[in-house]
Amino acid sequence: MLVTAGLLMGVTLLAASLLRPKKPSATKADTYECGIETVGDTWVQFRVQYYIFALVFVLFSVEAVLLFPIAVAYNALPLYAVLITVLFIIILLEAIVFAWRKGVLEWN
Amino acid sequence: MEFNIIKFIVDPIDGFIRNLLSFSPLLGDLVTMGLAAIVICTVAAVSFMALTYAERKIVARIQDRIGPNQAGPFGLLVPLADGIKMFTKEDTTPRSADRGVFNAAPLIIATFALAGFAVLPFSPGIVGTALNVGVLYTIAIGSGSIIAIIMAGWGSNNKYALLGAFRTVAQLVGYEVPMILNLLPVVALTGSMSLMDVVYRQTLANGNPGIPFIVYFPFCALVYLISGIAETGRSPFDLLEAESEIVAGFHTEYSGMKFALFFLGEYVNALAVAILFVTIFLGGFAGPVLPPVVWLLIKCALVFSLFMWLRGTLPRVRVDQMHDLNWKFLVPLSIVNLVVVLLIGKIFVATEATQQATGGIVVGYYGQAAIFAISNLVVLFGGLALAARAGRVRRLADEKIMAARAEQNQLAASRAIAVGK
Amino acid sequence: MTTQQILFIVCSAIVLGGALLVVTTRNLFHAALFLILSFFGVAGFYVLLEAGFFAVAQIMVYIGAISILIIFSVMLTRGMQAMTPRNSQAAIAAVVCGAMFVLMVLLYQRGSFTLPGFGVNGTERQVGAIPWAFAGEENNISGVPETWIAKFGFSLVDIQQYALPFLVSGILLELALIGAIHVARERRPAEIIAERAEIAAEEAAEAELPAPKPMPLPEVAPAHHMESH
Repeated sequence: MLVTAGLLMGVTLLAASLLRPKKPSATKADTYECGIETVGDTWVQFRVQYYIFALVFVLFSVEAVLLFPIAVAYNALPLYAVLITVLFIIILLEAIVFAWRKGVLEWN
Repeated sequence: MEFNIIKFIVDPIDGFIRNLLSFSPLLGDLVTMGLAAIVICTVAAVSFMALTYAERKIVARIQDRIGPNQAGPFGLLVPLADGIKMFTKEDTTPRSADRGVFNAAPLIIATFALAGFAVLPFSPGIVGTALNVGVLYTIAIGSGSIIAIIMAGWGSNNKYALLGAFRTVAQLVGYEVPMILNLLPVVALTGSMSLMDVVYRQTLANGNPGIPFIVYFPFCALVYLISGIAETGRSPFDLLEAESEIVAGFHTEYSGMKFALFFLGEYVNALAVAILFVTIFLGGFAGPVLPPVVWLLIKCALVFSLFMWLRGTLPRVRVDQMHDLNWKFLVPLSIVNLVVVLLIGKIFVATEATQQATGGIVVGYYGQAAIFAISNLVVLFGGLALAARAGRVRRLADEKIMAARAEQNQLAASRAIAVGK
Repeated sequence: MTTQQILFIVCSAIVLGGALLVVTTRNLFHAALFLILSFFGVAGFYVLLEAGFFAVAQIMVYIGAISILIIFSVMLTRGMQAMTPRNSQAAIAAVVCGAMFVLMVLLYQRGSFTLPGFGVNGTERQVGAIPWAFAGEENNISGVPETWIAKFGFSLVDIQQYALPFLVSGILLELALIGAIHVARERRPAEIIAERAEIAAEEAAEAELPAPKPMPLPEVAPAHHMESH
């Protein structure tokens, strides 16, 4: 399915490339910066906030991968198994609360 | 299920192709799958065109204006005009852009958006590929398009594009968490990750009660809807495309067909989110009298109208408000809700058989649905009350500070007047 | 040549080719992208092994989360554009990796081997045989669906199976997050002063000198606070 979608899109792009006008010019090839000339290197001050959010997302991703099979088997789980799952979830909730209390979930 | 019109059309074609290629079952499989993929992609693309038109008209009416009405009667040829425009606009590439990455990004986004349609059930038995991990597949597809956004931002070699890409990724990555957490109760109750099974659980098949999951889990449905809207970058979460913000975000440097592919990806994504919400929470193609695919269309149209309604009425959120909403409200509440659902599901069970297997109090299907719904609403309103209280505490503190400042100003003013005298 | 063999070769090419490009390409960002390509190949392997759940989990976790983390940390290192990754130990590394690969192939072919003296009462012991992960056939809990995903899920919370490693992995995740946040957190100026004073006091105590006088206001790197995005 992925392959077919990719091929279809490739075909569309190819068709478009044949149809459109090609008039390169120096101004058009410049980087766009609100209409002014660019100043300085293309370098962005990267804030650690992005990294923290991605890190917490990794945590939840791994948690999801472990929780989904447990959810699939949920109807047959005895109560103690559900309590173990709840314990696992609370461990990860604790991690989020730690992040919250340390103030890293702010976007300044 | 009633007269299944799609199966009626598809089965003969399927049989015909397989008969034709009976010398090689593999080839038969490949051709049928390829044909199905092409049909799904075409359906998605055509609905994309119709949706852009519908959106512009409806949002215009909400904003008390008419919307496009020049191209063709009632502006019906607008999608065609848009298409011609996209095909024939020049494709400018910045001089110092990274060619491979720059050109690959829109292709990847559009491909992943369309690939998300592969697991959506359109009718009983009609699905692109009957994956038994359909729910997780949709989340994985969402994650895949995130990489393409970074590629687009980086490949443009443009400060603002890169910055826009990072902010977009932070938003998308953040709102995937409540999505994941709120799909878990649905999967738990269904006992399977396959979307077809999720729909069947909401119908009357196999002894299931015909209760859609939105009745079982209103909180989960609401949060999933909000996260879905945020995932697609629609209003009110479209702070990344705001004209006054970072130019056009990660697709600043794109024009012509490549920009069209980004645009396509966004709308197809929104359509996929709508169909997913309908499938998981509203019962998919289930319905009494009409053919199933018509029910799917009706429900999906309703949900998408809801999206357009939100776009036309709500103001845009600020970036820190958006992140606060996600990490401080939606995520903790979703976790609490998940724990509550898991525990309650074991204490109040629906059938005798389950009670004999794992114990609990039998309340029947409807009783269980009612208990789940009540617990969900308790979590929702409890969370809202907590948030309201926190907001009120902060507002009172702010007011106190403002009052103190006003008093100081007045004191200084009166002192100045006294000195002046 | 069955289809499965062809697909296996294609997936191997993607994985190995991607990995090769990761270590040889000059541009750090391209290296990250080729790593993602490699991960897609691994997901393809999972599909070939009829473990669709793990394929999707691989895409969701590795490509959707960890790759983003890698790209972000690549961006965090300053002067990324000026850096061309060069490895002066490439030759030695290649030799060591090749030796490890040969060792792994031999072990796998052998299947299992006996270690004298490590068994019970000093007898020999079989190592290396692949243990069966799911004891689902042995439990008597009725109603566990026959699908292996359900068995896998059940084994994660069954006390007789893998509940303890499951909880330990949760604690490990939590510790990793706490550690990373502690290291990567942005400190306010007061905290920075306090931390530096603490470090200075420790060093002074070690060198057995009198404690230094309190530090003047340090030049906090303006990059932290100037641009608020």
